[in-house]
Amino acid sequence: MNLKATSRKNAIHIMVAYTGGCNGCDIEIVNAVLSPRYDVEQYRVLLTWNPREADVLIVSGVVTWQMVEPLKKIYESIPEPKGVVAVGACAVNGNVYKNLVGDIGQNEEIWAPVETVIPVDVKVPGCAPRPEDVITGVVKALPKILEAP
Amino acid sequence: MDNLLFFPLLLIISSVVAAAVAILYSLVLPGIERKVQARIQQRIGPPILTPGFWSVLKFGYKRRIEPTAQIPGLYKSLVYFGVGIIVLIFLFSTPYWWAVLGWGSVLGIAGLLKLEEVLYVLMGSQSQSFLSAGMPVPDLAKGSKHVGIRREFVEQHSAERALKMMAIGSLPFYIALLVPFAMAKSGMISSVVAMQNPAYMLTSEWWSVPLPSNPVIFTLPGIIAALVYFVGYVMLLNEKPFSILKAKIDLIEGGVLEYASKLRAYYYLMRNMLMFALSSIFVTLFIGIPFDPFMPLMMLLNIALSLILPVMLATLVAFSPILTFRQIYPAAIGLSAFGILALVISLGV
Amino acid sequence: MASGEKRVEIEKELSFGPVHPALIEPYRIRLFVNDEIVEDCELNINMAYRGIEKLFDGLPVERALLIAERVCGICSHVHAWNAVRVIEGGLSIVVPPRANYIRVLTNEMQRITSHLILFGHAFEVVGHETFAMRSFLLRESFMDLISYVGGNRVMPSVPIIGGVRPRADLTESLKRVILERVDEFEEKYKGYVTRIIEDPLVMSRLTGIGFLTKEDAVRFYATGPTGRASGWDYDVRTKMDEYKPFEFNVITDESCDTKARIVVRALEIFESLKIIRQVVKSLPEGPVVNQSWKAEEMDFTTAYLEAYRGELMHSYALDSHGRIRNYKIRTPTPTNLAAMEHACVGDHVTEAILTIASCDPCLTCCTRAEVVDSGRSRILSDFEIVQKYGWRK
Ligand code: SF4
Repeated sequence: MNLKATSRKNAIHIMVAYTGGCNGCDIEIVNAVLSPRYDVEQYRVLLTWNPREADVLIVSGVVTWQMVEPLKKIYESIPEPKGVVAVGACAVNGNVYKNLVGDIGQNEEIWAPVETVIPVDVKVPGCAPRPEDVITGVVKALPKILEAP
Repeated sequence: MDNLLFFPLLLIISSVVAAAVAILYSLVLPGIERKVQARIQQRIGPPILTPGFWSVLKFGYKRRIEPTAQIPGLYKSLVYFGVGIIVLIFLFSTPYWWAVLGWGSVLGIAGLLKLEEVLYVLMGSQSQSFLSAGMPVPDLAKGSKHVGIRREFVEQHSAERALKMMAIGSLPFYIALLVPFAMAKSGMISSVVAMQNPAYMLTSEWWSVPLPSNPVIFTLPGIIAALVYFVGYVMLLNEKPFSILKAKIDLIEGGVLEYASKLRAYYYLMRNMLMFALSSIFVTLFIGIPFDPFMPLMMLLNIALSLILPVMLATLVAFSPILTFRQIYPAAIGLSAFGILALVISLGV
Repeated sequence: MASGEKRVEIEKELSFGPVHPALIEPYRIRLFVNDEIVEDCELNINMAYRGIEKLFDGLPVERALLIAERVCGICSHVHAWNAVRVIEGGLSIVVPPRANYIRVLTNEMQRITSHLILFGHAFEVVGHETFAMRSFLLRESFMDLISYVGGNRVMPSVPIIGGVRPRADLTESLKRVILERVDEFEEKYKGYVTRIIEDPLVMSRLTGIGFLTKEDAVRFYATGPTGRASGWDYDVRTKMDEYKPFEFNVITDESCDTKARIVVRALEIFESLKIIRQVVKSLPEGPVVNQSWKAEEMDFTTAYLEAYRGELMHSYALDSHGRIRNYKIRTPTPTNLAAMEHACVGDHVTEAILTIASCDPCLTCCTRAEVVDSGRSRILSDFEIVQKYGWRK
């Protein structure tokens, strides 16, 4: 393996963009990162809040109207190569907010799934997915980044 | 130094070796720091090379992306200046530079460090990350009480805080830096080292390890000054508890927010180099073991002892919250008082 | 918002969010500052608007529970519980006592996890990573227990109309596990709290900022630990029938600052532990669910519950087909945040954010946008706002 891929494999910066779901996923991600029980740092994954530093963007939550533009902007600000992981049923298919509607027939307040706003590489379903699944999702996004020029 | 013909050659060789060793070693330091913190926090933590070495390499391989700044060209050049300044600071503390144009003195080090602090102000006023004021969300309500107020980017606020830190926060550091020089009654690093380590000579054999006979750190003013130096070190590195100018919770990262890919690699390098350079200077000035590339054993000793400050730093970071100016002002004033006390004692001795 | 008695000249505005380390949820803080001092504060909390109340309209009441639980991921249980309490109250459905006990048990377990999240978050904001991590580590033991009871760490879905899901019934072995874990937790947690209180640096950050007097707390209707930290002993639990069998204290603190808000929560966890022990030890036998009910027309009914951050209200009516009409949720956060906007005036920027964090904002619950348009006040959805005013220039 060449130096480029090795260096990319050995230092992965993730950024969390939470676009308005129920908080559950969000906390599970932060849990995965911060809780000493899961501790993603041991897998060479570091958390950052600056898109300029990030490699992998973790998006959770349905994308509400106000979060569309910020999400696009964050995605644009991440330098190539980058990957996007959609975490949670909300980000993958809109969950109850999109699919369980009463009389109004269609929920126009949300843009879920995340795919309609930015390209998604890995989807982690579950409501809420366990922290282990989140970590697996980040790892699944790696091949694309490693092989990028 | 008897052979003036060879001197420039030796100077160049020594600088290249010193810079290379310092860069490589400084890439390991953040990993050690993270590891110590992680162990304190009861977790495994990242492998030693990840936060430093591999991160820098990875950023180097990322695609270029234009920063959002007032004058992007200036903003980009600042980080090169930063790396240059810190490499120079470090080189001035190596023996072959001691004699060159008086740079190897307290003035050379303090002056360049001040310059480095100014860089943060400049970076802060240049960078305009969209994470604060530029975020594209509809947030200006018509009924708001305050209309037409200047919206500031967090980086600009960081620049203001950097100014305050420059004015008062870093004062203790410079006072502590003066103490060894005051004890040696000279402004040159060479005489400080000569006072502590009379056996050390530029012309010593390459395998010899002349140990200091009376290091500054074992004297009363020395130990006070060393403690003040350590706190000042934390302040200059903007680490917790003095990380107010890039406090994660309001300013995210401060002025360096917009550095991406290669520039970020340089920024990492600059920070890590500063961490190493200051700690190596500490060993030179307070213990009397200079970083001499032509005496590998001596150099290794210096490198090993330079671990003290970063490890202490990591422990402090793990156990302390961010302080606000409410606490920083009294802390800085108190520490300066201690520093001045040490200075007075050392002048009296 | 601070009532502007005297106008101060404001130098500049700092705004953070919605993607920002200090506010994990999407909302936006606009601080109006002079130098470092916050003169006024405005919170824009409409970024998580999902139109959730509208979704309920016309859904069969059982399915509505699914949405009610997903109003908020930190306090999923209270929302689910309160949603069923509305219909149970309105149609007089009898809930078996065993079911009530299990609901209370889940509620208190989630209260502990929720308070520990606050500690984690507040100490992140204070900048003390070690304490934050300890808190997340401690929280894991209760996340485990919740998943043993309900099957999911975040969405345990314990209550259903007329009782609890049979899966959530407590077995003898689970009871034993709970008691063991609670003892283990209490010991570690005591050590943790002692260390926080004895840490001078952390305490100096927390004390003396973010004052909220009792009058203000009552005026803003800041319920929950936020109000109790201002000396207002208001706790809906004392009025609830479900909590009658249990004995616990309402923790209040008179010191009204950010420290008080943390300390009240820290002590509340001990009360929750007490309740959990009582539940497990005196769990009555019997069925856990009463299925003899039918959804029929129901008048507008309201239920109040002490959520982890304050008073929570759910209310709805059922039409003749048993479908939900007019769902309304009022979560504690909007009023608490208004109080926080008031409390953080006069502090440093970094401290203002800590103050806001210390009331434990949970914004996904409830967001509506109000646009004052030529004197008439009306409620607009974000969709309409964007349509009408466009994205911010
Ligand atoms: S997927 Fe579930 S837990 Fe995650 S944000 Fe959506 S509703 Fe909440």
